[in-house]
Amino acid sequence: MYNWDFGIVFSNWNVLGIGLLNTIKLAALCLVTGLSLGLLVGIARYSKRKIFNWPASIFVEVFRNTPVLVQIMWFFFALPILLQTQINAFSAAFLGLTMNTIAFSSEIFRGGIQSIAPGQWEAGKALGMTYVQQMQRVILPQAISRMIPAFTNRGVELVKMTTLASVIAFGELLHQAKTISTIYFNPIETYTVVALIFFVLIYPGTLLVRKLEKRADQ
Amino acid sequence: MSYEWDFAVVFQNYDLLLLGLINTLNVTGVSLLFGIPLGLFVALLRLADSKWVSRSAGIFIEFFRSTPPLVQLFWIFFVLPILFDIAIDPYSASIIAFSIQSSAFFAEVFRAGLISIDRGQWEAGYAIGMTRKQVLRRVTLPQAVKRMIPAFLERIIELMKTTTLVSAISYSDLLFQANDIAQQTYRPLEVFSVVAAMYFFVLWPTSVAARGLERRLAVSGESTAA
Repeated sequence: MYNWDFGIVFSNWNVLGIGLLNTIKLAALCLVTGLSLGLLVGIARYSKRKIFNWPASIFVEVFRNTPVLVQIMWFFFALPILLQTQINAFSAAFLGLTMNTIAFSSEIFRGGIQSIAPGQWEAGKALGMTYVQQMQRVILPQAISRMIPAFTNRGVELVKMTTLASVIAFGELLHQAKTISTIYFNPIETYTVVALIFFVLIYPGTLLVRKLEKRADQ
Repeated sequence: MSYEWDFAVVFQNYDLLLLGLINTLNVTGVSLLFGIPLGLFVALLRLADSKWVSRSAGIFIEFFRSTPPLVQLFWIFFVLPILFDIAIDPYSASIIAFSIQSSAFFAEVFRAGLISIDRGQWEAGYAIGMTRKQVLRRVTLPQAVKRMIPAFLERIIELMKTTTLVSAISYSDLLFQANDIAQQTYRPLEVFSVVAAMYFFVLWPTSVAARGLERRLAVSGESTAA
């Protein structure tokens, strides 16, 4: 019978605390940047002009159809050679996760914009609004409320994906756990506690998505 | 100074990459083989009349959907062997982790598919004397499965992307092989670019197929893909 001992994990709460902060920092920064740039890429994807549409489409297909861990590794090991500079683990993880979020959220924006009836565009035009005004004052405010469940879901996925940064030794929660369990030989307690921390962090998001989706269906 | 590309090292090691690709497809395929039936089973428990059974299935689904797959993999690889005093190699740990993890997602797909079938279909089955099992197998499940195909393909794509995590516990999948070759040849730029392209050319056609099917089913009003 294994003797459980959570004492060591709790006495290292500050190590895990740093990890948790890093996880939250990485996720929040990637979400904000990813959603903002995702809007631009989504509008480019929606555009009928090939000069906007094609590059955006290629970007989205590439980042949606390759594993995010491969993207992170590419930014960490390959990009520095191409640019002949140093890229630290945080920046590589940030780049990989943000590109991924841009690609997925741009599809949400595009779907949301497409779901608005064409009459809304025409009404804006009839009032003499420009394209940007129609988008900003008429289309987006209506589309965004429909997109909120999908965005919340991206946030949930993003928090889960931040654990991949541990592979390139960024000190997020899972990496800190790995450090503790290597020093004290207590993987059972450490990984169990970390799994629970992640659950507590992510589950409210999962619940929120479900609630929002149910409301949207009605 | 511009970088001198040299793809020769990648092609010299094509056999290692091919082995990695086969291992990636192996983990994906075997996890699906266990994950899909297990997902159906969990979905049926979730839809069971007994509150206790339904709620337990719900907790299982929520737990595996709300924790990062890499944490699950680490837990199974590092914790399970000590807890039960058994040896688990990286391949088995990967299969166990991804079968369970994907079953939680497949359960949700099955559930959405099954509840999308009109109640009248169940009642019609009961009316001609079928048991619950018979109605499920002969009437409702066949209709639900057709609607679920796009969502299934999407999950398969996600699963294959997730299998790259096995490289973190040293199972020699495509990404692990790439890392190995990159370290030996000092050519990470070429190696990781080729490997990213390899993943793309496997995943992209699947994505296109999923979208095509979804569009076709949407026209006939039969898609459950969210």
